[in-house]
Amino acid sequence: MTRLLLDTRVWTALAVAALAALPFAVDAYTLSSLSGIISLGLLAVSVAVLTGTAGLPSLGQVAPYAFGMYTTVVLIRAGVTEAPVLLLASGAAAAVFCAVIGPAVVRTRGVVFLMLTLAVGELTAQAAQQWKAVSGGTDGSGRLDPTVPFWGLEPLVDEPAVYWYCLAVAVVVTALAGWAARSTPGSLVRGVRDNEARMRADGHRVGAYLLGVFVFAGMIAGIGGSLLVTSQRMVFPSDVSFSISALVLMAVVIGGAASLGGALVGAGAVILLRDWTAAYLPGQGPLVLGALFIAAVYLMPGGLAGVLERIGLRRRKEAT
Amino acid sequence: MDLLDAYLPHVIGGVTYGLLLFTVASGLTLAFGVADVLNLAHGTVFMVGGYAAYLVTDGSWWGLVLAALAGTAAGAVFGGALSGAIMPLAGRGHMMQALLTFGVSMVVGNLLVQVFGSAELRPDLPDVLEQPVVFLGHNYPAYHLLFIGAAGLLAAAGWLVVTRSRVGALVRAMVDDQDMVAALGVNPKLVLAGVLAVAGALAGLAGALGAPILGPSLHAANTVLLQSLVIVVVGGLGSIGGAFVAALLVGQVHTLGVALAPEWSPYLLFAAMAVALLVRRPPQLLVGGRTT
Amino acid sequence: MKHRLPRRALLLGTAAGLVLTGCTADDGASADTVKIGLIVPQTGVYEEVGNDMRAGFELYLETHNNELGGRKVELLVGDEGDGPATSYDVASRFVQQDEVVALTGIASGASYAEISVFAQEQGVPLIGSGGRPTLDPDQLEGLWHTSWISEENGTAIAPYMAENLDGPVYAIGPDYQGGHDQLRGFTENFLEAGGTLANPTGETTWTKFPDTDNFLPYFTEIAQTDAAAIYTFYAGAAAVNFVQQWAQSDAKDIPLYGAFLTEGSALTAQGDAAEGVYTVMNYSADLDNAANREFVSEWTAAGLTGQPSLYAMCSWDAASVLDQAIASIPAGEEVTSEAINAAVAELGEIDSPRGPWRFSDTHAPVQRWYLRQVQLDGQQLSNVVIQELATLGD
Repeated sequence: MTRLLLDTRVWTALAVAALAALPFAVDAYTLSSLSGIISLGLLAVSVAVLTGTAGLPSLGQVAPYAFGMYTTVVLIRAGVTEAPVLLLASGAAAAVFCAVIGPAVVRTRGVVFLMLTLAVGELTAQAAQQWKAVSGGTDGSGRLDPTVPFWGLEPLVDEPAVYWYCLAVAVVVTALAGWAARSTPGSLVRGVRDNEARMRADGHRVGAYLLGVFVFAGMIAGIGGSLLVTSQRMVFPSDVSFSISALVLMAVVIGGAASLGGALVGAGAVILLRDWTAAYLPGQGPLVLGALFIAAVYLMPGGLAGVLERIGLRRRKEAT
Repeated sequence: MDLLDAYLPHVIGGVTYGLLLFTVASGLTLAFGVADVLNLAHGTVFMVGGYAAYLVTDGSWWGLVLAALAGTAAGAVFGGALSGAIMPLAGRGHMMQALLTFGVSMVVGNLLVQVFGSAELRPDLPDVLEQPVVFLGHNYPAYHLLFIGAAGLLAAAGWLVVTRSRVGALVRAMVDDQDMVAALGVNPKLVLAGVLAVAGALAGLAGALGAPILGPSLHAANTVLLQSLVIVVVGGLGSIGGAFVAALLVGQVHTLGVALAPEWSPYLLFAAMAVALLVRRPPQLLVGGRTT
Repeated sequence: MKHRLPRRALLLGTAAGLVLTGCTADDGASADTVKIGLIVPQTGVYEEVGNDMRAGFELYLETHNNELGGRKVELLVGDEGDGPATSYDVASRFVQQDEVVALTGIASGASYAEISVFAQEQGVPLIGSGGRPTLDPDQLEGLWHTSWISEENGTAIAPYMAENLDGPVYAIGPDYQGGHDQLRGFTENFLEAGGTLANPTGETTWTKFPDTDNFLPYFTEIAQTDAAAIYTFYAGAAAVNFVQQWAQSDAKDIPLYGAFLTEGSALTAQGDAAEGVYTVMNYSADLDNAANREFVSEWTAAGLTGQPSLYAMCSWDAASVLDQAIASIPAGEEVTSEAINAAVAELGEIDSPRGPWRFSDTHAPVQRWYLRQVQLDGQQLSNVVIQELATLGD
């Protein structure tokens, strides 16, 4: 019995089932915000891949996210609304962008990496704002056609349909990322994170490994961006602003940097909190979020999991 | 010549704005180069300086001097407090510092807006400075010209301190090799506190003197922070001289760029940064081995 | 590979729990209570405008026993931010989660453009009290307006400027939907009335919004043209910068005309720099009629600062429209969105601080416009009506 309780596959299956059953329990508004949260959850997964696996905490993953987002916008405007095309094209566009800027970015570490990614993210947001033909500037993209899940199927119009689509894509992509992290290249990259000098000495091509993770993470972010378009059907430059980057990095910290599921949960918790403060303390949202940042940094060194550990809800994990 | 004349006001405006940014960015690059801290609350310190100036100015010249002092002091106190907040995070990586300072900037920035209200606030300047002044055939706000003079003097003084004084030599040495701090037996906590207080003082002073040009607001705090980051990257991390050149450049992009190529001006910053990164491979960019 | 599995499981479970508990429906309002959603900027460039709008609506409720049409009101207030990026989400929450019977407020035309489509899909009436873009005249079901149509300011003043100015006019404005509507209203009618633009490109000059804070380069450019006047539209913080910098620029001797420029708290911040600026608006606090005298005195009595702005007035009128509409629904009947919408369509003349007005076929007010100038009125600067302009809206 204890065995069964500790088996993650059981819990993951239960959690996914519970999430899949949500449309029967909540109102349309909650569902559509949850779809948006799932999109940001994938962005958080992308950050967790970089932070956890490669030890590179990025403040600018909104840049590939934006590339994915606007690729989907352009395709939908051109009449291409089939999900497989949108997802592949968005992931690819974001990956190409990361492959271009990656070589300059992944050779830096620490605070320089933070600063560079921040600048890249922020300047991408500005460029999005300025490129009106695509983004519509501050006014946003305007209403876009709904996504069609597959050739011959009905477009995703109702909130539950959109939600199930986003959930399905997120589950598949997160599983893929988890599989990649357990693969041989994944363990090589963790080796770089833990002892870069030794890996270099062993003759590993550290730069190439890191570039590979950077591109892979970018692809995940790009797919997340595509989901945002499907769920909101209207996107704005502020969807890729710096505060989103910071929020998502926060989510990853809360979720416990290396855990992909934790990143999804952290994103859910942080964004729900943001939306609740917006609803019940209008105008006070930034203040509450800022306080959350401060509290989380001091009180949750190991993320949510660390807190659970401390209050004895779960056994300590082996030393990192 | 006509062309030059036509764009002169843009150039002068760009110099004003560039010097304003330089004052802010020099603090950021110091904190970065000496203490290895990415301070995302730096723009909020600028805001604090602006509000300090608003509070103490009363339309007299003394009020203006007082504003500069109050802004500097408020900034230094804020910077010192930040270093106190960062210290417990030692050994937990730069990401935590960045997130903490970002959280502080959100809380302090929004509290300030609640206290002072969201209406635009401008310091009360001596009447003479509210008048336009004719310079080389164009009208300029008198205060802008005064600001250019004051900020220019400040930059020169800063330059002298960094290149000629004992403290300056120590700072330069620490930028080059941060482990030297430990080797010299200087208390690293003291260095962190000192550097963040000085950086804060610079941002606070910029906020106070810059308030008539760019009044305190959340928007101003964000703009100033982002542009300072670009300046620090373009100018070379930890380099005051580089920051000076980069700040003047960004100032020109902000005004002349908008006039000559309005569509392209936002990308110019991007391009400047990309070029700086690709052309130069400064050793600071390859701070290898250390992970966060 | 470290064994992280249990943590992930727990976290996922927590998330599902969090989501489920968070989504339980809250209070059900009692049958007699009417839920209204007010969406106004509480952050961003138009925060001050939003504060005025909120004050106007709440002042009406306070002075009317917290009732509209004899029913208790539960007012939900949401943040509009800088546009639809923030406001659309609030609107969908109000309608789909809180189930309000009507939406009101909305300062920017861009927010209005997106929310109006949503409100129509959901069958909820929207009583806008801020900027409004031009809408398809066949698609007005459920959309009402108590303020102005963004193009009307320019439309009202264009003939006056074409006739009274000796030379071309330089047109400049912020680069977003509301700015485009405002400036198009001016340029189209101005050119039609025989005026010419001083802009070298022959078209309006756009400034990046909301990022532009240094307008001096634009003023230098304006001074190099043969402009006899400037026409513009800015509000809030942008208006403060624009007017202050104008007064110290090469263009300081070129008269400044505009929509909204000196409205509300902007004038206080602008100070002496605003003296002499002309604005075209549908209201001024110095209008001499009974409804306005009552409105202004209630405003002062409530301890609100300064004089009420037109933002506050339009929002007061939105409450007044809802009040009369709901009052016409028989006492026993439930106040539904459909009932409110039907009742608003039947409303006749509305007694307002701006003078009486009624809804036109475009569901916006048929109202008079005024040319105002910032003058010293006793001790303080205020917007003084110097001439009546056209009545628009029919």
